[in-house]
Amino acid sequence: MLKADNIVSLRQYYAVILIVWFCILVLIARYFQIQIISFDTYKKKANTNRIRKITTNAPRGLILDRNGEILVDNNPTYVLIAIPGELSQKGEKFGLISNIIGLDSNMVSKNYKKYYRGKFIPTRLAKDLTFEQVSKLEENKFDLKGIYYQQFPERYFPSKIRASHVLGYVKEVDKEIRKSLFSREEYELGDMVGWNGLEKKYEKYLKGSRGVYFYQFDAYGREMGKVTDLKPQPADPGQNIITTLDLNIQHDVENLMKNKKGVILVGISKSGEILAAVSSPDFRPDLFTGRMSENEWKNVLFHPEKPLINRFNQGLYPPGSIVKMITQSRLLQNQNFNPDEVYKCEGNYQFGDRLFGCWREKGHGDMNLSSAIINSCDIYFYKTINYYDLDMLSESFKMFGFGKITNVDILNESSGIVPSSRFMNQRYGNFGWSKGAILNICIGQGEILVTPIQVLNFTNLLATNGSAGTPHFVMVDNLPQNVEPKLNLEVWSQIKQDMENVIIHENGTGKIANPYLKNARVFGKTGTAENPHGKDHAWFIGWISFKRELYSVVVLMENAGSGGTKAAPIAQQVFKSIYKHTIKQEKL
Amino acid sequence: MIKKSNLDFKELNLSLYFLAFFLVFIGLTALNSISQQYDEKFLSSPFIKQILLLIPSFIFSILVLGIPKSQIHKYVYHLYFIGIILVILPFLFEKHAGTHRWLQIGLPFMIQPSEFAKLFTILALARYLSDHNLQMKKFKSIIFPIIIAIIPTGVVMNQPDLGTSIVILAPVIPMLYWSGANSFYLFLIIAPFLSMLTVFHNVAFSIWALILAITIILSRTTLIYSILLFFSNIFLGLLSPVLWGLLSKYQQNRIITFFNPEKDPLGAAYHIIQSKTAIGSGGLFGKGWGEGTQTHLKFLPVQESDFILSVLSEELGFICILLLLLIVGVLIHSIIRNSFLSKDRFSSLVLIGIATIFLSHVFVNTAMTVGLIPVKGLPFPFVSAGGSFLFTSFLMLGLAINLSSNYSE
Repeated sequence: MLKADNIVSLRQYYAVILIVWFCILVLIARYFQIQIISFDTYKKKANTNRIRKITTNAPRGLILDRNGEILVDNNPTYVLIAIPGELSQKGEKFGLISNIIGLDSNMVSKNYKKYYRGKFIPTRLAKDLTFEQVSKLEENKFDLKGIYYQQFPERYFPSKIRASHVLGYVKEVDKEIRKSLFSREEYELGDMVGWNGLEKKYEKYLKGSRGVYFYQFDAYGREMGKVTDLKPQPADPGQNIITTLDLNIQHDVENLMKNKKGVILVGISKSGEILAAVSSPDFRPDLFTGRMSENEWKNVLFHPEKPLINRFNQGLYPPGSIVKMITQSRLLQNQNFNPDEVYKCEGNYQFGDRLFGCWREKGHGDMNLSSAIINSCDIYFYKTINYYDLDMLSESFKMFGFGKITNVDILNESSGIVPSSRFMNQRYGNFGWSKGAILNICIGQGEILVTPIQVLNFTNLLATNGSAGTPHFVMVDNLPQNVEPKLNLEVWSQIKQDMENVIIHENGTGKIANPYLKNARVFGKTGTAENPHGKDHAWFIGWISFKRELYSVVVLMENAGSGGTKAAPIAQQVFKSIYKHTIKQEKL
Repeated sequence: MIKKSNLDFKELNLSLYFLAFFLVFIGLTALNSISQQYDEKFLSSPFIKQILLLIPSFIFSILVLGIPKSQIHKYVYHLYFIGIILVILPFLFEKHAGTHRWLQIGLPFMIQPSEFAKLFTILALARYLSDHNLQMKKFKSIIFPIIIAIIPTGVVMNQPDLGTSIVILAPVIPMLYWSGANSFYLFLIIAPFLSMLTVFHNVAFSIWALILAITIILSRTTLIYSILLFFSNIFLGLLSPVLWGLLSKYQQNRIITFFNPEKDPLGAAYHIIQSKTAIGSGGLFGKGWGEGTQTHLKFLPVQESDFILSVLSEELGFICILLLLLIVGVLIHSIIRNSFLSKDRFSSLVLIGIATIFLSHVFVNTAMTVGLIPVKGLPFPFVSAGGSFLFTSFLMLGLAINLSSNYSE
């Protein structure tokens, strides 16, 4: 156990003691040197020279359209800051400041409380000062000890478009937001962080990294220049991002939707690039910058039509007849089904004890599969439901990307609903629903709900025989994998032929959408979706083909009425706009 | 059979507690001054936290007094292995603040297992060196003790925590010296490191070369050996800038950040300047308690632990620092004295180990505040706020007092 005797010699003891006191002595000597010998130097340094670490905000990267036009830029503004520890007679100073810059003095002290993080940390008092305001403050410098100003790059929108739901906005980081951020040590209070749309999705590219400078100040708060023995680190601006948007088409579709409620999406079918996207009503993109007034904010927040909601990404709508091509493809996959067989439409159809009507009350007469698509007859589809079951139909919907997010590069996408028998059992109980449910779902009504961005992807897939890129707003190298519906070539061409007839046939429901353009072919389908929230939603989907390129269009007019009369005329304008602006560019 | 130890409190060297509490009091003075900034959040201020931590720390310290020496001796290897497991555990969980230093055990605070590893390593070393009647004059006898210390050091270094890993390794040399290892061999172990470090500074390297030469001459080895030892060290030193130059910029940066864990090198230099200005402007008597007008000081992110001496010297002056360092000197001196007077070798070795840990913390922390060394992140014993270390400090103190008494069993 503890048998071993201690064998430390007196010599060893003294040697160690000597080392201990030598170390202590070195430390005392160093403190003596700094505190006693160099006291005057350091005292002077402490009293007359204060080194302050000043961080400058990096300008965020710009957001450009597909042709390099600037959509989102930075505007240098000034922010006013205070060092609380150097501030005396706060009330008086805040009063003087509010006099000079014309801001409520309550607002100044409110900001002071909001941004306060410590006695010696710069605290923001006001932002968006103009150069004139800053120079007036400069004149009163001696009455404003402890008050400083900094340049601050703020977002501004030089182009004629709004695209507010695509571009999104930045939000000022406050204590709450900072807590919620993933990489919070990179943000300071008062910084800007992408909060929505592309600004949020591409935050890490747009953000850049802040710069650090060291300045000396004297006891009067006068800047004595940069500190030379500390290396400054200039701010690194964020990366620019190039969007797929086309400024001119976006401008046109925004005008088409003015004072209307709904969505227009325009895209290149093959690549999935989105040329224009509007969710109406929208809001001014610079709403969140500058000195937004309380009223303006309330107007947007409590607007009955909820302009802040991104309808094309989050809005859930019954698709109506625009998805009849999925039912068509389902029927064509069955070997026993004969597309030329004629079913008579008498305007209504008795199923069990319920009467289902066609949208055309007097009926369409004799219909085969093609004419049912062209005329958008409902009864034909009611009479053919025996060729598949609910789960086969829901499989087809899923094959075209419904019921799950498209992975478009704007966050918070809704996934929609594609009812399967499992879904119906869960919602209504095992015997709570009947086969009659298919009658609704096969014409895009009932439990099925879709987002307009899913519909755009669906349109792209129809136009490209099932091989379209995932819809996206920013030119990137790696797109997420899109769904790849597999159908026989004959089925694809049948669908296309019928969709072209929707536009050019004399009975076609979408013939108003025909822009009558040279060397261009137009395909389409209308939809009139009944919904529990008022008048029917008007849908139009389709694409225009010219110069070996395909451009998809999705129009949704909320509570507007029938697709053929309300959405199709808008679509016609959109086709014209696409034609005009893409032809023009090729000449350049 | 374990005999009940006839522990007599009169025999215990309780004056060590008085010294420690004096240090704690000085620390609390500074913490209270800092905590003024906390206004309404005073209850979550470092001052209150420190007081709340002192209570369990002191209770455990007293409990350690009652454990018989033989029991401690019996279980040190178990403790050592628990220590190794504890420092490996954080690697199994998510990183905290970018490192694997802390363990979240469902308490409102996190524990830093490497603090316990310090104590457990010296206990294991002490037992190994006292149980085996080693031929300490032979070079190979010092290999195994070094391995005992290297294992936890390596793990902690990977956490990464350079400061703590140095403290774990530091007691090896004095403990070997204490158990009679050839001091010239010990010198040879340290020499290459010093050669490589001093070469970057002309004066330091010259002084080092002189010390090296004198030590080798005094060791009275053969001429060829002496020349070989001297020049191999000098060459190693001279070679290190060349080796450094061979590294890519990226690798160099990684090493620099390793030795200077502050992520932002600008930040570190800035802190040292602010710390020195605060200290220097304090003068002989300081600016008065709570009157630390040096705004810069308040920018220091860890003023309640790493830079607490800067706060003290600005507000209470050189007098306070002098007092503080003298008290800590007396404390360490007393532990070493008890180690020398101890009858059994095990106790003696543990005591010298504890003294080394305290001294290395004091030296690294204090030297850092005045810019003598770049490494940071080690708290000042009993003064700095900081949970796990305050706790182990009291544990070590209790152990030191226990082992200092030569009671019979």
